[in-house]
Amino acid sequence: MSTANPSELDFSPAPERAPQARLVRPSLSYWQDAWRRLRLNPRAMISLAIVVGLLVFTLVGPMLWRLDPANQDLEQLSIPPGAARTAHIVEPYTAWRREATPGTGLRLASEATTQSVRLVWDAHPSARAFEVFRDIYPPTHPPTQSTQDALGIPLGEISPQDGLAFEDRLALEPITYYYHVVPVGAGNRLLSDARETIEVEVTRAITLEEATQRGLVSTGKKTQVGDEVELAWHPLGTDYLGRDMLARLMYGARVSLFIGIVAPFLYVLLGVAYGSLAGFVGGATDQTLMRFADFVVALPFLLFMILFKVLFGIGPGESGIIPMLIALVILGWPATARLVRGQILQIREESYVSAARLMGSPTGYLIARHMIPNTLGVILVTLTFAIPSAIFTEAFLSFIGMGVAPPTPSWGSMSNEGIKTMLVSPHELILPAIFISVTVLAFNLLGDGLRDALDARMRSVE
Amino acid sequence: MTRPLLEVEDLAVEFDTHGGTVKAVRGVSFALHEGQTLAVVGESGCGKSVCVQSLVGLVPMPPGRITSGSARLDGEQILGRETVGGMRVRGQLIGMIFQDPMTSLNPTMRIGDQIAEPLHMHQGMRRRDARMRAIELLELSQVGEAEKRSRQYPFEFSGGMLQRVMIACALACEPRILIADEPTTALDVTIQAQILSLMRDLQRERKMSLILITHDLGVVAQMADEVVVMYAGKVVETGSADDIFYASGHPYTQGLKSAMPQNQDRRAQQLEPIAGSPPDLFDPPTGCGYFERCPRAMQVCEAHQPPDFDLGKVQHRCACWLHDARATHDS
Amino acid sequence: MWRYTLKRLIQGLITVWFIATTTFFVMHFVPGDPLSDARATSEQIRENLEARYGLDKPLYQQYYIYLRNIASGDLGISFTQQNREVNDIIREHFPVSAALGVLAVVFAALGGILWGALTALFRNRMPDVVIMFLVVLGVSVPSFVFAALGQLSLVTLNDWLGVSVLPVAGWGSVQHLLVPALVLGLGTMAFLTRLMRSSMLEVTNADYVRTAKAKGLNATQIFIRHQLRNAILPVITVLGPAIATITTGGFVVELVFAIPGLGRFFVQSVQQLDYTVIMGTTVFYGGFLVFMVIAVDLVYGLIDPRVRVE
Repeated sequence: MSTANPSELDFSPAPERAPQARLVRPSLSYWQDAWRRLRLNPRAMISLAIVVGLLVFTLVGPMLWRLDPANQDLEQLSIPPGAARTAHIVEPYTAWRREATPGTGLRLASEATTQSVRLVWDAHPSARAFEVFRDIYPPTHPPTQSTQDALGIPLGEISPQDGLAFEDRLALEPITYYYHVVPVGAGNRLLSDARETIEVEVTRAITLEEATQRGLVSTGKKTQVGDEVELAWHPLGTDYLGRDMLARLMYGARVSLFIGIVAPFLYVLLGVAYGSLAGFVGGATDQTLMRFADFVVALPFLLFMILFKVLFGIGPGESGIIPMLIALVILGWPATARLVRGQILQIREESYVSAARLMGSPTGYLIARHMIPNTLGVILVTLTFAIPSAIFTEAFLSFIGMGVAPPTPSWGSMSNEGIKTMLVSPHELILPAIFISVTVLAFNLLGDGLRDALDARMRSVE
Repeated sequence: MTRPLLEVEDLAVEFDTHGGTVKAVRGVSFALHEGQTLAVVGESGCGKSVCVQSLVGLVPMPPGRITSGSARLDGEQILGRETVGGMRVRGQLIGMIFQDPMTSLNPTMRIGDQIAEPLHMHQGMRRRDARMRAIELLELSQVGEAEKRSRQYPFEFSGGMLQRVMIACALACEPRILIADEPTTALDVTIQAQILSLMRDLQRERKMSLILITHDLGVVAQMADEVVVMYAGKVVETGSADDIFYASGHPYTQGLKSAMPQNQDRRAQQLEPIAGSPPDLFDPPTGCGYFERCPRAMQVCEAHQPPDFDLGKVQHRCACWLHDARATHDS
Repeated sequence: MWRYTLKRLIQGLITVWFIATTTFFVMHFVPGDPLSDARATSEQIRENLEARYGLDKPLYQQYYIYLRNIASGDLGISFTQQNREVNDIIREHFPVSAALGVLAVVFAALGGILWGALTALFRNRMPDVVIMFLVVLGVSVPSFVFAALGQLSLVTLNDWLGVSVLPVAGWGSVQHLLVPALVLGLGTMAFLTRLMRSSMLEVTNADYVRTAKAKGLNATQIFIRHQLRNAILPVITVLGPAIATITTGGFVVELVFAIPGLGRFFVQSVQQLDYTVIMGTTVFYGGFLVFMVIAVDLVYGLIDPRVRVE
């Protein structure tokens, strides 16, 4: 048992023990306490930072990045994000006077630029004609019948009488192309075995006149053919119409966040008014009001979003934002109304409200002092979770073409346009998708954090 | 006395929590004899439930951890084992009932099936036989209309009835020991008496041993042969029920008694609460756990753990320096 | 139980009436004229068309006829496709959407239950952390992004293997269905995983699980006989709304994967302002969803005895 030497033990009565140290911490108000708890939640704080960052991006961004989102840069269509592109100054286009080109096999007659790609090749004994294809993917080996379709886009059929040459001017991009020239034998059969392929790296070209017109050439310096000029910079690339992605994302954020924040704010407000009316008045009025709310909940949400969008129409010059807003408010309120009514009914029965009433507090005081502060937390959490779902709705509707009208950018409509060019230039889809996802994620995590911080009753089990 | 049925020695259990390690049970020893009732008494958080539940492996590990000790049933080590001699420790050798019968039964399973479950699982009984046996067990636990009731669900029962079901469930495989963890705390006073007398009758019939965990000295007086008083994860006093009630040696036991209403004393009685609260088991005191609250504390108590003193009789032991020969019995 | 079922069905019918009425009046007050297109070239043709669609009658009569037709299961004739009945359109396109939706719901429910149970069993360990990270992503990524990514990975996969393992778009076989259904179910799966996880954790700490352990059941028996059934209950309660989400989410997937379902047809008919098709499809979808929610509630009653008896 005890290792101490028993002779040392002191058996005299112990002095009065000090009362146990009391655990004291400063008393905090509900909101101070909630803020303290929220601050301790790293996920919520990161989300809050993202939300603030998004607001800055939306409100301040367009002042710093002054490019017009509707402006089309035809030199740079669907370019991926990156540093500023350069282009070679070339002579204005002139028709190709075919001269003998040294060499054998399929070869280039001149430098390949976005202005034109000029190909020449040699005769083939059994060729009745030649079919020219252009592909953006490397050819498969060995060429088989089944890969015939995989030669890319057919550019044209050349008969040997016209010369063994072809000029491609069809929407050339500054990327690597694979040109295939396939002899066509008797009976219009492609002689795949005699296929010739050349890999062509196309350089971006611009004429001096165009460069001057676009203000790419500084007036002080003398620029001539062969020089390189820097084109307009699109840090996040451009879309299929050559519009700057960064500018469009900023303006799109305005639409998406406007709908995402204003609509929930309005319908939560409507829901609070409706719900507290039902909760306060009670009785038959309450029953009727809530039954109506039940009906509205039963309306299939997205279908009626579309119907209301049709009802409120898209007038001339109307971007479709306001109809979507109205539709969201009309359909969104019942959930909040139910929640608030439940809260009010519950608080009405709490003993502290009865106590306050016993002491003669007027109804107005009860509402201001007890009802509102005790429901505010729940309402705030509802609002935070309503925002991501409204952003989702906007994106969904714009994606299926029922949202904002085309020239107006929103993240949803940008995704809609991006999906068409997904295979060639994925950034047009990925960028707006990332913005939607990050925004929704941030609001969801912020909502989780707020719920944990504000209301123990709704705390999630984790 | 003969060799005890269950012998627990120097059992210690810890829990890892965010705040650190809680030493919930700190070296507990006791013995349970065949056919007898052992009451484990103490206030909330003194480690009585953890101590007993760790015997049958009901303490979740992690975060729980048994750091030392042994528990022998008929001489066989049961601590940390699932089966002993081909029998399952839980359910077959030791049955258990819990504090809150309302939540201790599966809400989506028929009562009969819940009782039949261990019979079916452990004894390989056919489902139909197990169900028939379940009805018999319900009758044995004095549940009326047993056949009809066995087809019902827990929400159709009252708390007292559910505790009878729990008893039927625990007794299904005829265990040697029944552990009842505060079996009457959640029940009405009138129902409490019924459940206690049911348990006592069944125990006598089957020569079963009973470990009764409670904080209610009234229940102890009614049921117990032997008593173990626990405080701050340690046993402070053990003895027969008579010893504990009429010759209690530890100031804590005495404190518990004066906090309990008694009716043999006709005079108006003032209940005396024990001031203060138990020590922090994250950092247990080096000396006697009760030092802070003890009205008769001595200098020695603060830093020196009192050994077990034998209080004359065979099985009455008390861990308090007051029983040291050198202590001045002033009060 | 029977009374409860009957009550729910009557409530459902009233709700469908409300949906039908709202649809009727919303469509009636849509600005513009349903017959303003090129078909109504002369006054005579216009009158004939008006008579044919019942537009010459007063509003209350139109409403009455509309309700009577819906009650008898007739949703009218298409405005833009001559002589095509809305019923035929639904009969043709809905089975496609339904097959897609059913498979997506199965994916979502099974996946949600499986992943949720798994994360709860491995709480705060590697599998839990990884899956919960994916879940957070899953509830934050819009369905069309999943659809696009699904299609993109199919293209890449087929390209990489050199053969067409699964078709990239279109309709006609089970293979056409797999990836779209998975993509459609992903968001709901993530939501259900989260729900199942918290429900499992709650159940794991339940007293009756401790009782089962005290009875001597091993972990697997406890999991199957006691935990799973109780943990699934909250998942089932949200399955009704989840079906609604998946049904309407199907619009996007049908568009991206070029699947000839009712959703894609609905979007088209809205663009063409095909009044009767819009109204018919909305009422049909509304009724379908209302009764799906009721069906899910009744199934819940079968599993949870507490609801059944009340």
